[in-house]
Amino acid sequence: MKIRAIVLLGTVAAVCLLLLTLQMRGHGDGASDVLAVVTTPVQSALARINRTTVGVWSTYREWKAVRAENARLREEAQRLRVEALRVTEITEENQRLRRLLALKLAMPMATLSGEIIAREWGGWVRSLTVNRGRGDHVARLTAVIGPDGLIGRVVDVRPGASIVQVLTDPASTVGAHIVRTRTQGIVEGEPRGTIRFKYMARDGSDIQVGDLVVTSGAGGLFPRGIPVGRVRTIDDRGSALFHYAQLAPAVDFARIDEVLLIVGEGVQDVAGLFPAASH
Amino acid sequence: MRTFIILAVFGGGMAHATVSQALRIADVAPDIPLIVVVLLALRRGPEFGCGAGFIAGILQDAASGGLLGVQGLTKAIIGFTIGAVGARLRVSQPLVQVPGLVLLTIAEGLARFTLLKLFRFPAPFGELMTYVVLPQALYNGFLGAALVLGLAWAESMRERTS
Repeated sequence: MKIRAIVLLGTVAAVCLLLLTLQMRGHGDGASDVLAVVTTPVQSALARINRTTVGVWSTYREWKAVRAENARLREEAQRLRVEALRVTEITEENQRLRRLLALKLAMPMATLSGEIIAREWGGWVRSLTVNRGRGDHVARLTAVIGPDGLIGRVVDVRPGASIVQVLTDPASTVGAHIVRTRTQGIVEGEPRGTIRFKYMARDGSDIQVGDLVVTSGAGGLFPRGIPVGRVRTIDDRGSALFHYAQLAPAVDFARIDEVLLIVGEGVQDVAGLFPAASH
Repeated sequence: MRTFIILAVFGGGMAHATVSQALRIADVAPDIPLIVVVLLALRRGPEFGCGAGFIAGILQDAASGGLLGVQGLTKAIIGFTIGAVGARLRVSQPLVQVPGLVLLTIAEGLARFTLLKLFRFPAPFGELMTYVVLPQALYNGFLGAALVLGLAWAESMRERTS
């Protein structure tokens, strides 16, 4: 076994040295040509395989990079969406507060701004809780308004908060009149969350859909001219003493977040401060 | 197994000039045929190591366009030597594999240089060793060890499944 191996090594060495000698003397082309017949096609095939493999590998790496980039971009898009929502929210809040501030500054009587901290929206009671209470010298029956019009009145004052009875509350009644016809009446809340204008038939024969209803200032509770709503439908009850008009509220009670509480005295006409009332 | 050995010996020799270029790191490519010859010689003994070294080496010579027979002879010697003494070495340990392959590559480089010098090869010894043989020796050491560990793992998996 060992002798065979040594003989093999010797043969190999002899062949190699012979090949080298022949090549150095310029006679090695034949051997190279014979080997080239074997090696060239194999090398070509290997080079092709190598190129394909490298191509597949680089495609895979590119795909991985694209996937990672895709994930990163998705994350960024998500973050930007959230950011955009936040910016929109802040912008809207800013606009609301600006409108409220403008109204507060324009109001001829003292006001107190408040934030809605709770809502009671069941059919029995419709109220908002404002974060202004006894400590802020809020009194019962204080009028509560927003930039679009009347919201309601304070019915309960607590140490840190007040309960505002909204116009749509079934127990709510507000003295009001139609701006165009000066028809006097009462705005009442209804259990289904709507408001209606109750008026004497002989005074309101000319009421039309779209007419604006504002507070009348009668009773001294609410300043005169605060928008309450617009006539949506007219319920003509024939020869009955009172007729009714369904109103679309001037304020979207479900979406209001900030309010003004009128804490000062006075019943001046404030119609000019509300865009809806001036049209 | 026989097919694998044939592919390894023949393919390894010729793949060196094409495939191993893909494994190039900082202009240093591993000598895959040498690693293949060493692994085969360790398993099959000096005779097989010598034959495999000769075939892989001469194909490598032909594929790389060098003098035919230089690597044929040096790899045959390496295959023979490692096949003869391999049984006495604890080659399953990476601490033996890495330096072993480094030393073998240096030895092969020295043998190749000596042989080429006999046939009037002009390259300076110092630069050749610094820039070619030693970096390749280190690369071979780590790649060879990884290959040995990979083969051992594959064998253990095969035994477990069979």
